[in-house]
Amino acid sequence: MPVYKFYYFPVRSLGEVVRQIFKLAEVDFEDVRIEDKNWPEFKDQTPFGQMPVLEVDGKPIPQSFAIARYIASQHGLAGKTPFEAAWVDAMADQWRDFRFEFRNYWYIFMGYWEGDAEAAKAKHAFSARDKFYPLIVNQLKENGSGFLVGDSATWIDLLISDQAVTINKELPGFLDAYPEVIAHAAKVRAIPQIAKWIETRPETR
Amino acid sequence: FRACSMSRVFFYFFEILKYILPETMPSYKLTYFDTQGFAEVSRQLFALSDTPFEDNRLPREEWPEYQKCTPFGKMPVLEVDGQKLPQSFAIARFLARKFGFAGKTEWEQAWVDALGDQFKDYLNAFLPFFRVAFGTATGDLEAMKKSDGEPIRDNFFGILEKQAKDNGSTGFLVGSSLTWIDLIVADHMGVVEYHLPHFLDGFPEVQRVRRNVIETPKIKEWLEKRPERPY
Repeated sequence: MPVYKFYYFPVRSLGEVVRQIFKLAEVDFEDVRIEDKNWPEFKDQTPFGQMPVLEVDGKPIPQSFAIARYIASQHGLAGKTPFEAAWVDAMADQWRDFRFEFRNYWYIFMGYWEGDAEAAKAKHAFSARDKFYPLIVNQLKENGSGFLVGDSATWIDLLISDQAVTINKELPGFLDAYPEVIAHAAKVRAIPQIAKWIETRPETR
Repeated sequence: FRACSMSRVFFYFFEILKYILPETMPSYKLTYFDTQGFAEVSRQLFALSDTPFEDNRLPREEWPEYQKCTPFGKMPVLEVDGQKLPQSFAIARFLARKFGFAGKTEWEQAWVDALGDQFKDYLNAFLPFFRVAFGTATGDLEAMKKSDGEPIRDNFFGILEKQAKDNGSTGFLVGSSLTWIDLIVADHMGVVEYHLPHFLDGFPEVQRVRRNVIETPKIKEWLEKRPERPY
């Protein structure tokens, strides 16, 4: 088994899906968390000046979804057929589109960006949410297995569930109109390897 | 709740056909606007692999009706024997893997994916300036070029330049043969240079990749016969 070192900030955000893939696959990895103050020094050593980065036997690969797909594919967590894998990818990219709009509010709310949080919320948060989450609800309904694609957990289930729980925790009630999303997240978090990870992982935003 | 009954008919038709003739090649239909945009990489993958496909270019006025039948309310949408797949990169990766243009190892595939996602991040940042250059948004082009266009370009194309060089200056961004990230970068460069001549002159290794793509015989042939659109 290769030696894996995963580098990210001490938050969940874009990195958590990769950590959870390793945990669900029961593959050992070093969970390296780089503090903000140490980041400038480390930044120049990364391929794109960004995190997360995964080192595989010392060789780096950047970009959270490329990392996620690389590890998930090798452990049966990326869909059972090429078409299923493509649907996992499509949902991940749709989430990414959602996040690109949602972050105009979220990053101000979380303190990463300057700005008027309430104005940003009115302008971006609700429209982003209400374009994206109905797609998730519909996909759960059409797929029918309790998971988003196929009949078992894939990395898109890990991504969507962690993000939904994070949003709901920071903004109580924000996803009340989407109980299926909350139920899906609960189902994923009840998977034994994920439940154990949630119990033992560092407490962060 | 969607009036998409025709696509269900096609889906069942192909299911029956597959049962009768199990070895038939899948049928492909790619639906997008009549532009290069986010569909072009997939069109080029069909061209590179000599795979027939229906290049369904939707007139703008038909979009509101068609939108109701799309999985995510967006295009492109690929239909494989009537089964729908949205999201341009999911489509491109699916086709590239099938036709052999996704990278030759899992590691190469991951690097192609990483560069693809980096391109998306770059494009999101670059578009506000680029739309002013297209003429589809208003703004002070020269001021935005200095404050946004050039730094964003230098950050991303600097990454590509280094990647192309580290990969041996072969004219491929990853590995030793064409992948879908080469196609995306080459197409984007064509669109940029059409609207902003010389804007990408400072990246000789990436220019080499672009030349490599457009001189590949099947791509050259496709470029000659495809409808020319500004983006």
